[in-house]
Amino acid sequence: MAEARYYDIRHVSGQVTHIDIDNGVIESAGTSFFDKAVVRALGETGWGVIAIDNFSGRSQAEIETVLQDALRLARATEEKVFLADAPSRILPVPAPAPDPREISLEEKQEMLAGIEAAAKVPGVASTRGRYTEEINSVRFEDASGHEYTYEITRCGFSVLAVARKNGLLQMGRESEHTIRGLNLAHKEELGRTAGERAVALLDAATVRGGTMDAVLDPELAGVFAHEAIGHASEGDIIKEGGSVIGGRIGEQIGNHVLTIVDDPTMPEFGFEPVDAEGVAVARTEIITGGILTSFLHNRETLAAVGGGAAGHARGVAGDPPIVRMSNTFIENGDASVEEVIEACGTGILLKGSRGGQVDPGRGVFQFNAEYGYLIRDGEVRDLVRDVSLSGEILATLHTIALCADDRRMHQGFCGKSGQSVPVSDGSPHVLLKSAVVGGHGAA
Amino acid sequence: MQHEIAPLVDAILRAGEKAADEVEVYYAESRSVGVDLKRTIIGEAHESRARGIMIRTVADGHIGTSSTDDPARWQACLDAALASGRLATAQEWHGLPGPADLPAEVPVFDPAVVPGVEAARRLAADLLLGAADHDAEVIGGSASLSLSESVLANSSGVFYTRQKTGVGASLEAIRGTSTGYEFDRSCFLDIDAVDIGRSAAFLACHSANGKDVATGSFAVILSPVALAQLIGHVVVPALSGRNVHAGRSWLAGKIGEPCMGETLWLYDDPFTRGLGSTLWDAEGMPARRTEFVERGVLRGFAYDLKTAYRYGEESTASAVRSGPGGSPGIGMHNLVVDGPRGAVDEERAIWVHDLVGAHTANPVTGDFSVELSNPSWVEGGAFGEPIRSAMLAGNLFDMLGSIEVLGNVPRIIGNVILPPVRFNNQQIIGK
Repeated sequence: MAEARYYDIRHVSGQVTHIDIDNGVIESAGTSFFDKAVVRALGETGWGVIAIDNFSGRSQAEIETVLQDALRLARATEEKVFLADAPSRILPVPAPAPDPREISLEEKQEMLAGIEAAAKVPGVASTRGRYTEEINSVRFEDASGHEYTYEITRCGFSVLAVARKNGLLQMGRESEHTIRGLNLAHKEELGRTAGERAVALLDAATVRGGTMDAVLDPELAGVFAHEAIGHASEGDIIKEGGSVIGGRIGEQIGNHVLTIVDDPTMPEFGFEPVDAEGVAVARTEIITGGILTSFLHNRETLAAVGGGAAGHARGVAGDPPIVRMSNTFIENGDASVEEVIEACGTGILLKGSRGGQVDPGRGVFQFNAEYGYLIRDGEVRDLVRDVSLSGEILATLHTIALCADDRRMHQGFCGKSGQSVPVSDGSPHVLLKSAVVGGHGAA
Repeated sequence: MQHEIAPLVDAILRAGEKAADEVEVYYAESRSVGVDLKRTIIGEAHESRARGIMIRTVADGHIGTSSTDDPARWQACLDAALASGRLATAQEWHGLPGPADLPAEVPVFDPAVVPGVEAARRLAADLLLGAADHDAEVIGGSASLSLSESVLANSSGVFYTRQKTGVGASLEAIRGTSTGYEFDRSCFLDIDAVDIGRSAAFLACHSANGKDVATGSFAVILSPVALAQLIGHVVVPALSGRNVHAGRSWLAGKIGEPCMGETLWLYDDPFTRGLGSTLWDAEGMPARRTEFVERGVLRGFAYDLKTAYRYGEESTASAVRSGPGGSPGIGMHNLVVDGPRGAVDEERAIWVHDLVGAHTANPVTGDFSVELSNPSWVEGGAFGEPIRSAMLAGNLFDMLGSIEVLGNVPRIIGNVILPPVRFNNQQIIGK
């Protein structure tokens, strides 16, 4: 059989620990273990990929057999795949402090219980607190002799409160995830915030959908950056012809106030010390001053498309690496939050996020705020609920009129091709002119 | 597989019984092979070989779970399950089920499904063949076949085995900036890949040059793909006995009350042909049909043993592997949306093929506002003028109370089986 033009092996083993406290009852808590590898081989044409469980302790001969199996699969492919050269190196992983492994599950449970209990403010009928901790030990090697090993620990919690009044239910939710160590201590305030919001939303009005000016808070504007531009700039989508921003490098696609960055080197929830193809990670400016400057690439899409840098391949344990975002954000502008609200005049302030989705080929995105406030005459007024926003990428980027100077990052998980990876999104407060806001109320 | 696994399962059960009152072991292994289309050629062929053990222990009402994909590490996994149980709050518990006489089989295994690259390539070729019927470009696609085998055993003598096959295919097409996506999945080699390709390309072509629609109230038809997402995100959690008793379900306290339209039935039928068909649930309870809604009246909720014992209810054999590490939790096998059928698209309405952002619906209240994919006017049973862009805003529970008619042809979408459904007076936000 022919030799592989290239191969790599990414082996991830580790453990997942969870605690689930539901209305004060410890529903479940404990640890599960995993050990998975992905072996990729590039034959004459394209990729043969084998995902295999329980990879630890395999002999060199067994690994060679898996590689040959991958190469045999690759013979079924027709596309001639080329890989761009890219620098290879690893960054140190910030040490978690405190290291969650040094704290007993009982202690974590007590801290989580405190956060969950804090959510039970008067009016709240149901509370739930969840903690997750995932330790990944990663080993990477490729045909070029690159070899990396590292360990990364991600942990965090979420707290949910549901308030009830006269048969009406509303929910409030807060969460915080990190790579920097256990984050459960002294977080009762977040529980209380979730509870108080759930209660407040019982009396909130719903919005009548339509076109209006909108101010997005840092969390929601971060999701906007992720959905409206991040996905559309992913090299694999560009390569297949599935993005409306394909072929537009160098074009002014947004207002000059807008700079959008993806930065896997940032010590946030989407941090990667090296990408899943062994490529050095680096900050990539997707949009600079409104001009499309870079796509996010892996080695294959960089070779096929150009315009940008490799180093954006990520894969969950047991799944092949694909082009992903990491820490994605809109850069600070120079306005104050007050100036942004005032510039809105009459419109809506949207806060928090229940997620979003994009169809990058059509250039249409949607995302949902957890709550919002009507803005009248430059002042923040009544609380509203269940508001979402949709738009067309190419039109909307021009309508970002103003960016404040208060950027914050929020953590979450992003799904693509069945893989859910940890990410963070962030932004300052931004003003979006003529936004299409969805709601079914009368306010 | 049974012969190789039986001694391992037996060893875990015997070791577990020394430290706990009861032990349950779930073992699964699977192999899947598939190809990915990059535009119109195959760019990647992949194979996945997975296996895993999930152990659950019960000691004095303390339930513990753990899982591993390394069978050789079962002792560490058992220890972790016992440790997990010591942390969990003790609860009312009356035992795991013993073996039952089960019907012969359910339709989840097709000997014609043999995971292999050639079979996947044939499906991919059919996708392209169908897509060629319309003037759209293929962005990508996928085709895969899988075979899995599993064992559920417990210390009360249950030892059930199952073989399950799967076939899936999908295609995404584009014309200009108009996209079309279609897919299908089955336990049998009965999916029509040509039709999937044709449908995706048709959607991309049809939606090109869509016209704007004014904001207003219209009759809307949600396709099975669109409605299944909202139901899965809002109705399924609301029917979970755990959420009901935890105070997180809009349906709590409404048994016997009309909660949805009187032409609507909702039930879980594990014996019908679907992706979740099974003879036993994830805890070894004999599967059964469970009625949730009859003529719009709420009849009951879904329970697993844990929730049923805790709240003095009866298990509806609704445990599926939805919990942490694949542990049992409440879910649906095949949730069927049923009722009197008729033509949905004779009278003029807006047809919605898919939704952008269905997962952002409020799971507690059912409120949502989403962007529409491939919206189009339909009338006289045929597609009319496409709509460029619009949002649909509403409340899913209210919508299920204002069903005009359920369509004739049901489709399997994940663990939901449902036809297209026509709703009156829905809020559309135009551009």
